[in-house]
Formats: sequence, C-alpha cells, structure tokens
Amino acid sequence: MIDASPDTPAIALRGLSLRYGRHVALHPLTLDVPKAEVFGFLGHNGAGKTTTIRLLTTLLTPTEGAARVAGYDITTQAMQVRANIGYLPENVRLYDRFTTRENLTFFARLSGVQDARRRVDEVLERLGIADLSNRRVGSFSKGMRQRVGLAQAILHDPQVLFLDEPTSGLDPMGVRHLRQMIDQLRAEGMTIFMNTHLLSEVASSCTSIGVLAHGRLVFHDKVSAIAGYDERRLEELYVSVVRQEDAA
Amino acid sequence: MTVMLIVRQALSGIVRDRGVLLLVVIFAAMVAVSAFLGWSATNTVNAIYGQAVDWLTAQGAVVPPNPMHQTPPLASLRNLPVYISFLGAFAAIVIGQELVEAERRAGVLPLIGSRPVPHGRVAVARMLALLIATAFLITVAGAVAILALLSLPLQMQVADWGALAWALLLGWTYMSAFGLLALGFAARLQGTAAGLLAATVVWLAITFVLPALTGNVNPTAAINPVSALALVPDTPVFHWLSRLLGPVSLSEAFGWLEARTMGYLPEGLAPRAPLPLLGLWLAFVGSAAFAFHANKTLDPNGGCDA
Repeated sequence: MIDASPDTPAIALRGLSLRYGRHVALHPLTLDVPKAEVFGFLGHNGAGKTTTIRLLTTLLTPTEGAARVAGYDITTQAMQVRANIGYLPENVRLYDRFTTRENLTFFARLSGVQDARRRVDEVLERLGIADLSNRRVGSFSKGMRQRVGLAQAILHDPQVLFLDEPTSGLDPMGVRHLRQMIDQLRAEGMTIFMNTHLLSEVASSCTSIGVLAHGRLVFHDKVSAIAGYDERRLEELYVSVVRQEDAA
Repeated sequence: MTVMLIVRQALSGIVRDRGVLLLVVIFAAMVAVSAFLGWSATNTVNAIYGQAVDWLTAQGAVVPPNPMHQTPPLASLRNLPVYISFLGAFAAIVIGQELVEAERRAGVLPLIGSRPVPHGRVAVARMLALLIATAFLITVAGAVAILALLSLPLQMQVADWGALAWALLLGWTYMSAFGLLALGFAARLQGTAAGLLAATVVWLAITFVLPALTGNVNPTAAINPVSALALVPDTPVFHWLSRLLGPVSLSEAFGWLEARTMGYLPEGLAPRAPLPLLGLWLAFVGSAAFAFHANKTLDPNGGCDA
C-alpha cells in the first residue's frame, strides 16, 4: 500500500548502496527527503551523486538496501517509480535531427501523457521556449538544450524531479531562469532532488542539503537549521565536513 | 502502442540519417544494375537467337528452340542475391547499429530508461524497426526485379512469381539476420567503432572467409553468382573443412537456396550445409534472440561515468 499522507517522505533511502565487485560506488545511504522540498545533494566530482540519482531513477539496481520514491519501491515497483519521476541528466542532448516539438511529443507519449500536443504547448509556453518549438535541437546552445531537457522532465507533471548538475555550463541568465523554474515547481508541490557541486546554487534554491564524500553521506540537514546560512557559511560547512571525512 | 511509438521514432531517425540513406540509394542502384545485367544478357541472347533463326531458316536447317526459353525466367536475376548478400546485408548492419548508436549518441537512453516502459518492450520496438527497414530494402529490390522481369520477353508463370516472392523472403531473412546481429552488438558494445566492427567482422567471415575454407571460393568468385556455386575441391582438407564449417557457412546456404528457388542451381550441386533453409532460419532466430537480450539488458546510462 502507498502511504499518501503528507508526512511520508517523497524520497526515502534505507542503507541504499552499490558495489561493482570490490569497488564501492555508494556506501549504505540512509536519507529522507520530505515532499515539496528542494534537496541539494552536494559533493565533489566522483563522490557518488550521479550514482545515487541513477539508483533512484531505476537506471541502476542497488546491490544492498532499499529506497522508495513517490511511495514506490525502486526495485520491485520500478514502473510506478518511473511514472512519477522526471529526470534531467547532466549534459542532456536529445534527438539532434528532430525539432523541439518532435522531441517533446515523443517523450510525452512515452510517459503516457494523453493529450501530448496540448501538454507540449503548455510546457513550451511555461519555459518560454515556444519560439524554439519548430527548430532542430542539433542547432541549440547548451542553455537552450537544458531548457528543452527540463521540459521533457516535467511534461508528465511528475511528483519528484531529479536534476543532475542542472546549471552546469549555463550562462547567468540561464541559471537565473532555472532557479525561478525550480521555485515555481516547488511551490506547486513538486519535490526536487538536485545534484550539484555549486554552493551558490544550493544557497539560492535548496530547502535542505546533504553532503556526499567518497560515497558516504557526511552531512544532512534542513537549510533553516544552519545558523547564519549563506553561501560563505555553506562553503565553510562543506569544507569542514569533507575534511573530516578525508581525515577519517 | 508504446512499441509502435518507439518504432516510428527509430525509423524517423534512420530516414533523417544521410549516411544510411546513401547506403540505401547505393543498394537500390546496385540492385538496378544487377537487374540491368540480367535484362541486357537476356536481350543479347534473344537478339543473337533471332539472327540465328533467320540464317538457319534461309539455309533450310532445323531451328533449335530459344535457349532463353529453356532457362527459368528468374535465372535472369541471378545477380540479385549477390547484391542482397553483400550490400543488403551490410546496409542492414549499418541500420541495426545506428538504431542503438543514434540513441546513445543523442544521450536519450537514460530518458527512455527512466520512462514507465519495460526495457523488453523497447528491445522489441528496436527489432521491429530493423525488420521494417530491411523489409523496405527488400521491397525496393523486389520492385526493381519486377520491373526488369516485365520489360523482358519472358514467359512468367504464377509459380515464377511465387518463386520470386520466396526468393525475396529469403533475402529479407538473410539481411535481417545481420541487422539483428548488429543491433545486438551495438547494444552490447559501447561506441560506434566497436559495435560496427564486431558485426562487420562476422559478416566478412561469413561472406568471404567461410566460402574460401569450405569450397576454395575466393572473394572474387564469391561475388559471381555462377562461380560462387562451386563443388567442394576433391582434397581431404576441403572435404573436412566443408563438413566442419559448412553448417555455419550462411552465405553459401543462402546462395544455394536462392539458386534453387530462382532456377539456376547447377545440376547435382549439393548444399554445404545439410539443411540450408533450417540453417538460415536458425541464424535469424539466433540473431533475434541475441538482439533482444542485448537490448533488454542495455545499460540505460549509455555508458556514461557515474
């Protein structure tokens, strides 16, 4: 049974881990992300952030532990999990030879959206990219692709949105637009799990944060619980917890 | 519903790929050339026969029957199977490889993999797209063949049209087996070069190496519809090699089946494989099983680093 109460976390990890033979890609990770939160998952390159997202989006299968996303188990209810999530991978490219509209219509239909054309129009308008609808994605800049990528992730109005380094390579206007979008989606009740290594991104958008170092969660708390919270305070905190982990 | 959606998307992508389109155009052109060769040879023989009839009649000699009427009409298309087994199979390999590689290149594998669609269904859709693409290729070959046959003074019977349909079905099966193999290799091996190379090596081995080992059919002879149908040289080495490798020598099995179907099989020539039709279908089914498994278990992360 799915617990639909507001207190049920949108994402719940219980000792979730992944090994490739003797190599541990992700140490057992326990974490709750409440509904309508923007969770910033911090960590340096190779810390295991992308692995965590891939596990939660059912693209990888954990070797140990369990996790529930939108109330569904990621291993035994993968189809239900997929029906309730949106995913924007890092460096999304999409079908180069297809137009924005063709790309989005395909992904909308693949997600089971009934009136795909109407929904694509809505999302294009919402993201301010209606003028790109009939242009081929192959000719787009990184920022334009990222917007189309975000559009494909929210087409089916998912409960949980996974963003992997969403502002990587974006210009300041692109970053600003994405932040506004994240704020709007959160206000509508969407839970957002965002991988990043940019402290400014976390400082401006996230309601809770977790720090991953060497495949281990070394810090997790609400942003409101961090005294004097700003980008500088966050940087001090991040450096401190990562150094402690390095020393250990 | 979902399967057909992915099939449509895959085929639309293939149609927009200039490299694949170029290969399809070359295939169609070569099939047209093969039909022209048959058309030209038939017309030449008919013209010579016509002159011979005039001369023999003037001499009061007995006029023998037209040799072209002694030959099954489909024999005039004996170059067609050669182009199917060479260019057709290679085009199928490129299409099969591109069906997976295009999605990997576009970075959409994680986007598809995180959608509520079973991976097995995605695998079936890719296979179906490949089979439709090869069906299109063989339809082009069939259309050219029919045009050539209709333009010749041949006496085509219903059975001949049936034989042509059967020959084309065999050609589709042969091409599709290679396409499915490429689809599997592309899913199993990451990178354009690795997937394409693996399937091409198998194709080269089946097309050129095995016939050389089983029947001393060198590559030049292998692309000649007549010399490719050779007896096994009477030596212990070829005797044993043909017994050992004959059952897996797919291009020879295909050539033999096509020659028998189209009526130009040399009398008394036994196939290298004991059951060539079964071998061809097993190759098709085996390739399909490999393609399905490889695509069902394809890493949806597209081989990106974690």
